[in-house]
Amino acid sequence: MASAIKKFPSGVQARRQKALPIVFVLLLFAMFMQSRIDPMAREMRQEEDLFITATGSLNNEFMLLPLLGFREAAAGLLWVRCDEFFHSGDYDAILPLVRLITWLDPHADNVFITGAWHLAYNFTDSSERSDRRYIIPAHELLKEGIRKNPRIPDISFELGWQNYDKTKDFSAAIAAFQKSINTIPWKGSDDYPYGAPLKTHHILAHAYTKLGRIPDAMMEWKRALQRSTEQLEKDPKSFTFKSMHSAEERNLAMLAQRFADRYTATGHSPTNPTPYPAVLIPPPGTDKTPRPWNMSFRPIVLSVRKNVLKMAGRINMADGARVDIRLTDWEYDLKEKERRKNISTKMLERFDVDSATTIMQESISVRKNKYEREIDMSKDTKMYSFKNKSKLYRVVVSFNPRATSPHVQDRHGYSGEGLIDRPEVIEYDRRPEFMGTKLIDGQGGEGPVWDGKTIPDEKNIKDEKYGQPNRMLKVTLKLSEQQIFGLKPISAKDIVPNEAP
Amino acid sequence: MIPFAIAQQTVREALRRRVMWIFLVSGVFLIAMGPVFGFLSPKDSQTVLRSLGLAAILLAGLFITIVTCIYLLPVEIERRTIYTVLSKPVQRYQFILGKFMGGFAVVFINIVAMGIVFLAMLWLQEKRLPPEMFIGVVMTFFQMLLLAALTIFFSTFATPVVNFFLSFGIFLVGNMSSVTDSLTSNNNPLVSNAGKVIHYLLPNFGNFNIQNSIIHPTIEIKNPNVFLFQNMIYAIVYSLVLLTLAVLIFDRREV
Amino acid sequence: MAAAISIDGLTKKYIDVWQKMEVTAVNNLHLQVEEGEIFGFLGRNGAGKTTTIKMLLGLIFPTAGDATLLGKPMGDNNVKQDLAYLPEETYFYDSMTGWDLMDYYGRLFRIPEPERSRRVKICLEKVQLQPEAWKRNIRGYSKGMRQRIGIAQALINDPKLLFLDEPTSGLDPIAHSELRDIVASLKDEGKTVFLSSHQLADVELICSRVAIIHRGKLLTTGTIRDLISGERKEVTVTSQALQNGLYEKIHSIVPGAQRQGNELVRFLSDDDDTISAVIDIVRGAKGKVLSIVPQKRTLEDVFVETVRKEEGEL
Repeated sequence: MASAIKKFPSGVQARRQKALPIVFVLLLFAMFMQSRIDPMAREMRQEEDLFITATGSLNNEFMLLPLLGFREAAAGLLWVRCDEFFHSGDYDAILPLVRLITWLDPHADNVFITGAWHLAYNFTDSSERSDRRYIIPAHELLKEGIRKNPRIPDISFELGWQNYDKTKDFSAAIAAFQKSINTIPWKGSDDYPYGAPLKTHHILAHAYTKLGRIPDAMMEWKRALQRSTEQLEKDPKSFTFKSMHSAEERNLAMLAQRFADRYTATGHSPTNPTPYPAVLIPPPGTDKTPRPWNMSFRPIVLSVRKNVLKMAGRINMADGARVDIRLTDWEYDLKEKERRKNISTKMLERFDVDSATTIMQESISVRKNKYEREIDMSKDTKMYSFKNKSKLYRVVVSFNPRATSPHVQDRHGYSGEGLIDRPEVIEYDRRPEFMGTKLIDGQGGEGPVWDGKTIPDEKNIKDEKYGQPNRMLKVTLKLSEQQIFGLKPISAKDIVPNEAP
Repeated sequence: MIPFAIAQQTVREALRRRVMWIFLVSGVFLIAMGPVFGFLSPKDSQTVLRSLGLAAILLAGLFITIVTCIYLLPVEIERRTIYTVLSKPVQRYQFILGKFMGGFAVVFINIVAMGIVFLAMLWLQEKRLPPEMFIGVVMTFFQMLLLAALTIFFSTFATPVVNFFLSFGIFLVGNMSSVTDSLTSNNNPLVSNAGKVIHYLLPNFGNFNIQNSIIHPTIEIKNPNVFLFQNMIYAIVYSLVLLTLAVLIFDRREV
Repeated sequence: MAAAISIDGLTKKYIDVWQKMEVTAVNNLHLQVEEGEIFGFLGRNGAGKTTTIKMLLGLIFPTAGDATLLGKPMGDNNVKQDLAYLPEETYFYDSMTGWDLMDYYGRLFRIPEPERSRRVKICLEKVQLQPEAWKRNIRGYSKGMRQRIGIAQALINDPKLLFLDEPTSGLDPIAHSELRDIVASLKDEGKTVFLSSHQLADVELICSRVAIIHRGKLLTTGTIRDLISGERKEVTVTSQALQNGLYEKIHSIVPGAQRQGNELVRFLSDDDDTISAVIDIVRGAKGKVLSIVPQKRTLEDVFVETVRKEEGEL
């Protein structure tokens, strides 16, 4: 390369001196024009945003990048755009973007996770009840993410978390957490933004507890402790790891204590007439014979006005217990398998949900052996259209002993083995994957007699047989459209026999 | 008159380049395929034809502009024909102006050709000529005007390969005006200032992207004439800036 | 006669950025070319000939120095109206026909129709390009035809001053001599031609004056007659007395004298006194002067000698 010392003709110099100020002024003018164009362009973009199409509210510039092969770059830019919508609360606009990004960049693990979270949690009615129709597409998105990113444990973790927290399907949650644990992470860094792998054992232990599989839970607590101990050794000052470590130590101790207490009622009487003698809460001053806990479950459902139902009732249980209400199309659960099997392309491509489907789920906490809530579905016709073909609706009022908190469980055991009520409201969940640790004394359950000393540990678990079904309280009502619309009253006659899950 | 002579000669040279015809034919082919895709797609066939047509004109126009304008100066220098021209009573600014006019005339011819095919397809399908589609084509035209000026500007000091990456890079960045616009109001002053520089100082190609708005028959541009006029002025003024700078640099270039 | 070109201390330096070295392409060049002459600008490849011409035409810019063309400062746009330039190895716009190319250049000079067509025709005829080639694409032209069209484009404006850079290199002998004659004929039309070349035979034939440039430095300038004058003579003498020290005597006067066999001595000299002195010695030794033949130098001899001398000093 050579540069030259140059002596330019005088005209060149003069032209530059004359032209540069003009260029400057013109440039300022162009910038001024830009400032005039911006508001109109913004307005136009906003108007476009109202239309949700396959490309959502995207300008051509975003389409240009992938056409030229810069798919990941386009995906990254779109994700930045998505962030704006999260801030502005424009939740509908996010969905097509999430779809587009995950198509453009199938390895955008964070978009799979955040998108699925968005689907499962952010669509709610005016009383903050989730639109549970979005759970299937959320799970499908996560499954797709897992398929496309077989070495990212975070997505399986999120699937586990959603099953644990949102759908209370503890069996599916356990399977997903196991998969997450068995996923060898791609990245070797210490950057774990989504829980996996640091918290997997921790949440898995909780999931096992909720399923009534206590020895498994204790084993996971030990593994979680091992993990957090390692982390603490690496980073002794970390508050996160310190608190996690101490929580895990406490949880393991508490679980061992409860396991012993609940299943080893020292004063167990072989003459106890009930088949469920496991729980010991002897009333003070009375005899020490353990007795089953009578729940006295009496739910009432009233039609207040159109699309407004009042849920009330009694249940003999401590504060903090929750009664679950679920209103669906009559065939909703029957069609659940079909829905999950034949997922429409509409749902996969646009996360569209069937607008004719109605599902409302709520959980009401118990105060002084009573619960009560008015459920107003009249304001959210998009979520609760009540438009299914058979015009029949199912209302299920239930109490799930497994999903409840430990101090409630202290009264009836991990799987409700110590509760009694009228036979027609007791529902056994005998699905094999939902079986908990067997009762130990052999009276109520089918398990071996326990020696009252040994806490089952890892090596015993292989031989352990899980045979304890969940004993739920459940009342099913079959309602007609008129009853939902408040045109006909709801009475005890509408109660129908429960259907097995 | 001299710039016109140079422009005419430039057009004649450029029209003989095979690569330009490849892009033109691909563009026309894509537009003509519109109804077929509309038939295949479950979506509204009108939307498909409109978006495909505008996209084809933009993409083909983009590549035609770049491959045409990038080589206008380098070929003259490589073949030494520039010596025979500049040793005649031709000012350097006349040469740049002539080359730009010629290059842009080629782009113009191509866009008009594709535009005619596009409007003809619309006429066949919708039995009318939607004015907003015409505006869409005109917008692409002004976008290419700006790009042609940018490419000529770079070609006064950069090699064709460097020029390609510079022009194309700035075209991409300039196209993200919705992103850069939102950056200008970012809370981080560093980001917002960088956003302002990119948004206001670099040529803003995104201004002309109104395709998405006009594809939807339900969206109306408010004050379309004002919007169109402002964008035209912007393209012309900014092109003037680039061409003047190109002349100032080329004045000092040793050929 | 006024000066068509007057170069005053023209200098062009480049800085090699990588090697941090200054390269001087043209070094303080002073030169006058008179109107109406064909001036030969001689030098080896890379001597700075093309750089000089490009500076004169304003294509590149000098580091120092000045020049006037036809009385106006170089780079002046108006003076270009009367200039012409044929660059070395130009490809032209080879998708155009010869006629269209000429027409294009005519338009650059703002020559209106129908004058333009007339000029194009005259020029094409003048360079003897076959009329059937006029409407053919330049792509199909032979090297000779390209050079012809190159000279034709240089003539389109009926210029007063032409810069021709190697117009005859690489041509077959017939085309070569035809083109040389065309260039020579320009002088008869009163044009000034600045001919850069290393085809020394051509230059010697058609140029009135030449300059020799080497490594950017002007070595010599003058009319061809002056440069090749100072006629040398080859002297051949014979004598029986060579054995008796005659050769040594001649050798002491003319160091370049060469002895051939036992009887002949030859030497070259351009100094008549030296020759007379040698002849006296030979006659004194009863020897014979066999011949005194004048030797004519060519431009090539001058060129090689001048360049060698410069190289030797370096």
